[in-house]
Amino acid sequence: MTKQIKQDKACHFCVNNISEVDYKDINTIRRFTNVYKKILPRKRTGMCSWHQRKLATAIKRARTMALLPYTNK
Amino acid sequence: MAKNKSNKTPHYEMLYIISNKFTEDELKPIREKVSKTITDNGGAVTYSEEWGKKKFTYPIEHFHHGYYQLVEFDLEADKVAGLDRTFRLSNEILRHMLVAKPVRSAEEIEAEKRAAEKRVAKTKEKEEKEIKKEEKKLEKKKPVDLKDLDEKLDKILETDDLL
Repeated sequence: MTKQIKQDKACHFCVNNISEVDYKDINTIRRFTNVYKKILPRKRTGMCSWHQRKLATAIKRARTMALLPYTNK
Repeated sequence: MAKNKSNKTPHYEMLYIISNKFTEDELKPIREKVSKTITDNGGAVTYSEEWGKKKFTYPIEHFHHGYYQLVEFDLEADKVAGLDRTFRLSNEILRHMLVAKPVRSAEEIEAEKRAAEKRVAKTKEKEEKEIKKEEKKLEKKKPVDLKDLDEKLDKILETDDLL
């Protein structure tokens, strides 16, 4: 089952041909966090490792600028 | 940080938050001060954008709102640390994010914009389609219901034992 799920998902940034993940683009980044505002694992996002790393730094940058929360209230 | 192999001056982008204790009339001199510190360090401001007053996702120094400003500039790499320090020590700026940005040609910037617009259009199309589907479903349901009702009414009226 898990294999099937993984095959269905493709890396969002590879598909849309985006090389840099922008920390200011909150609406895109926000979708890769869960209810507790934690960064989703690659297993869930289906992202390639290169973009997952970029996404993680982007989310962390957005957090320091108070664009995204560290945790929900 | 990535090493700059070409002789071009590196490109940087900074997002900073001006404290909410200032009114909107007091922002202009602060903005000018920031761009002046950049030019004083030998930099050249290429782009600036005002995001306006925004709500923080968590309070910073007991403030819930702040004025977001975006600046892009070219600067020598060895001056960046000093600039970063001056902004960190300034009282007007609550927080800032100084990030290296790859230098892009005008064509690339345009291509990016177009791609972003396409993405927005795609999502809009999807939403519109879904809305249309829902509307169709509702339309289909309604006339059938009316006909049924009419028939039922007729049947009831046709029968003589109404009373």
